[in-house]
Amino acid sequence: MDSSEDPPTAILALFQSEFAPEQKGLIDWGWLSDHLTSDILPALWEHIILCAVSVGIAVVISVPLGILCARYRRLYPPVTAITGFFYTIPSFSMFTILLFVIGFSVGKTPAIIALVLYSLLVLIRNVVTGLDSVPPETKDAARGMGLTDRQILLRVELPLALPVIVAGMRIAIVTVIGIAVIGAYIGAGGLGELIFDGITRDFPTLYLTGAVLSTLLAVTIDLLLVRTERLLSPWARRARGAN
Amino acid sequence: MIEFKGVSKTYSGSKEPVVKDLSFEIPDGDICVLVGPSGCGKTTSMRMVNRLIEPTNGEILIDGQKNTSMSGTQLRRKIGYAIQQTGLFPHRTIGENVGTVPGLLGWDKERTTKRVNDLLDMVGLAPDQYRDRYPAELSGGQQQRVGVARALAADPPIMLMDEPFGAVDPITRESLQQEFLRIQEDIKKTIVFVTHDIDEAIKMGDKIAILKEGGVLAQYDTPENILADPGSDFVSSFVGTDRVLKRLSLLQVRDMDLDPVNGNSDNLPQIDERLTLRDALSEIIGTGADKGLVVGGGNGSPQGTLSIEAIRALSNRETTDRETTGG
Amino acid sequence: MQDFIQVFQRPDFIKNFFVHIEMSALSVLFGILIAIPVAILVNRSDAASTFAINVGNIGRAVPSLAILVIIFPITGLGVDTAVIALTALAIPPILINAIVGLRQVNAQTLDAAKGMGLSGRQILTGIQVPIAAPIIFAGIRTSAVQVVASATLATFIGGGGLGDYIVEGFQRNSTAISLAGALSVAVLAIVTEVGFGGLQRAFTPKGLRIAAKRGK
Repeated sequence: MDSSEDPPTAILALFQSEFAPEQKGLIDWGWLSDHLTSDILPALWEHIILCAVSVGIAVVISVPLGILCARYRRLYPPVTAITGFFYTIPSFSMFTILLFVIGFSVGKTPAIIALVLYSLLVLIRNVVTGLDSVPPETKDAARGMGLTDRQILLRVELPLALPVIVAGMRIAIVTVIGIAVIGAYIGAGGLGELIFDGITRDFPTLYLTGAVLSTLLAVTIDLLLVRTERLLSPWARRARGAN
Repeated sequence: MIEFKGVSKTYSGSKEPVVKDLSFEIPDGDICVLVGPSGCGKTTSMRMVNRLIEPTNGEILIDGQKNTSMSGTQLRRKIGYAIQQTGLFPHRTIGENVGTVPGLLGWDKERTTKRVNDLLDMVGLAPDQYRDRYPAELSGGQQQRVGVARALAADPPIMLMDEPFGAVDPITRESLQQEFLRIQEDIKKTIVFVTHDIDEAIKMGDKIAILKEGGVLAQYDTPENILADPGSDFVSSFVGTDRVLKRLSLLQVRDMDLDPVNGNSDNLPQIDERLTLRDALSEIIGTGADKGLVVGGGNGSPQGTLSIEAIRALSNRETTDRETTGG
Repeated sequence: MQDFIQVFQRPDFIKNFFVHIEMSALSVLFGILIAIPVAILVNRSDAASTFAINVGNIGRAVPSLAILVIIFPITGLGVDTAVIALTALAIPPILINAIVGLRQVNAQTLDAAKGMGLSGRQILTGIQVPIAAPIIFAGIRTSAVQVVASATLATFIGGGGLGDYIVEGFQRNSTAISLAGALSVAVLAIVTEVGFGGLQRAFTPKGLRIAAKRGK
């Protein structure tokens, strides 16, 4: 297919005709439209996958761990301390340590490990808080009706805790999108690569595109997930409406 | 004296007024209770006295002066304010809480400290123990006492109290009510007191203003008169079908003319002379007797006997008096 | 190991260390100076508060490197640019916490304060701000840690700071230099977190600490 025909390119061509040939400024729209499908979009996609995989792994670890911490309260302070410790270490430092101390080679693996470690604190904390917010009377009624502990967890507690858990996921995803940008420095790819590449080559079009796209990605996902959170708790919404 | 003159309040966007053309006077030193079902505008009316809410129509005069003649802030420093949840400042000590208005008025430290100590004593909290504690360390009942002390701090002539004893259990509430009445005997403030509880109104009020939903004044009179002669069906039903018994709770045994003790009084139930007639009646009926032996005089000695007949005669007589004098 | 210690003895290390701290401190300070007055201003209006919180939430989502990279074409390379970008990063947590903190002050407490005759300003400074202080401080703490971490990236726009060593280590393939940078920043971040934690406790009014302990 002729590249000037697919929609994104056509839109960019429109911009191009608006601004070129007076366009001497920062962004070379021509270059952008040429490299959209070869460089930009793949970087975006790579970034999304990287973040999704990391948060996915983090959720798989955090939900069971969070449930354990909610039940066996003595676990909670040490878990919070450890995950909190990881959270406080600046990402750039974390990447460096993973590479030079632990000995990972550059690429996606150390990045994913770091991203997972960063997500744990928020996710575990929100799982616990979410479960805590389930009214004891509700659990009591469920037990009284003959549900097993497992059924109570799956059918009562987790659904009621879901909005808070999703809120945690939202914070985790948005944080991870930001940190993944830095991860490009150690070869994780994604939108950060556009930035670092652009800086090295002193090519504003490239690094600005990377910066703007990563910002847009983060903000869009944030807004989408806020919407989702509200949709997930129709009972809270109606109560708010009644007020 | 507090005067409401044609006071109305309608919130913008609302068609119905919350308070409608309210007019009445509260004499100095009286406790006037505003009572009624929810939505009757009692709290709104009270808050118009210290201008936390401004009336849409009408005016409120305090000692003949419009309450708009000074700024809201200045006005409020002259009016004591105690609310149901107390609103104690959690980050300040009890002593600092109570001393708030004196501080605003610029009292010097010594005067304030003395006043705080006196007030804490007055409400039954030992100053040395409680002055430096924080609200979170106190029980609900203790917090309410601090709320009252705080309202009294600058010795204002007027006080506004919005269900000040509402947030505690009935037993604590009763003792707080008694104590407050005792304090009022000494300090004689002019008080606007809001409650939804007719029994509290009857107990606390020198005058009661019964408000209907929509902020309309249904009746304004002494508790005795309202109970003896309800002005409308609404008042009747609000006051309760047991209003005759309620009237009996307004009098004490020692106020009655007692019959002499004759014959054997050993089987008679003993009635403390300080009991209300209602409680006395309850005691006597409970034992199956038709009269009781009244004891008192400071040493528990017999004062006379009180019969159920006498109590009934009193109720009848009062009602008849009412009817013949056109009450 | 020798090489590692040698990095700290380099003359430029102290300089970069202080540049890092100064950048961070300045940005957080500016963040406070902007965020708190705004929070106080929007306190009166529900609509304005909500709007400001939404703006804050969006601001929080923005990746730190992205902000640095977007601003420097406009204002050039160097520390100044870094401070501008870091200030933008510092504002959202402080703003959100300040707004929420001021709003969550008990309505009854505020009613009692007004009913007793405290003026609007007295209520704000005497009641709202002290009660909101712990939450506001939590926001400042989050902001500070974030800024210290993000200041590492200032190296990419010529801002200096400890990130310089991490990059140098990568470029010269020197574990020692990279780690010296990485560990110093990590320690700095942890010290900031703990230090502000202590400040937060110090600024929590005693009455509130007691109330929290009793779960009130």
